[in-house]
Amino acid sequence: MVQFSYVINDELGLHARPAGLLVKLASGFTSTITLKCENGEADAKRLIALMKLGIQKGSNVQFTVAGDDEKEAVAALEQFMKEKL
Amino acid sequence: MGLFDKFVNKKTVEGIILGAPVSGEIIDITEVSDPTFAEKILGDGIAIRPSEGKFYAPCDGTLESLYPTGHAYSISSEDGAELLVHIGINTVELKGKHYSVHAKQGQKVRKGDLLVEVDLDVVRGDGYDVVTPMIIMNSGDYSKMNKASGEVRALENVLTLIK
Repeated sequence: MVQFSYVINDELGLHARPAGLLVKLASGFTSTITLKCENGEADAKRLIALMKLGIQKGSNVQFTVAGDDEKEAVAALEQFMKEKL
Repeated sequence: MGLFDKFVNKKTVEGIILGAPVSGEIIDITEVSDPTFAEKILGDGIAIRPSEGKFYAPCDGTLESLYPTGHAYSISSEDGAELLVHIGINTVELKGKHYSVHAKQGQKVRKGDLLVEVDLDVVRGDGYDVVTPMIIMNSGDYSKMNKASGEVRALENVLTLIK
């Protein structure tokens, strides 16, 4: 299991487009990917669950990744968050 | 009345039926100007070019998210569909301006409940495309999706999802 956290820097938060792209990226890995913030936690492969969290700018989001490809998944997710959010 | 209505009337198709969230003209999802929708990154669905600014719940279910900005809402239907209605393109940038929200995230909704009202002319005037995609976020759970076309009134059947 690997964990990392990221503070959302995007003015508009994790709205539909970046949430959809995140789900698409996460779904490419076999590892389970869970995202946790002050509003609760969600499976990063389920768009409806991610959007429910209503993640805003300034939210501290913690990722927990577990599975055979966890290292690759964390690298890809960290890069995605830095670039898009 | 299109081909879709004939299907429903004959009851030859069983599936989850969703109404139009708003009155207007149905357009193909691949024609939406935003590739996030056109390339179905959020899932498959339809889009409506709205003729009125009243947006409703297309089915009974739970209002899983309704952004404070009012520009998008998602519902999990009682029969398992997870749908997103996104009112306009890039309208997250308006931060709620011109949108009035009539419901609360997390509440149960009935088909036909008014959820959001939008002053479409003003949103257009600010330079935004008001085309409204309705996306099935778990479209991978269904083998087939029957889509209506042409002009629709709010709540008329527009999508049937078949397992």
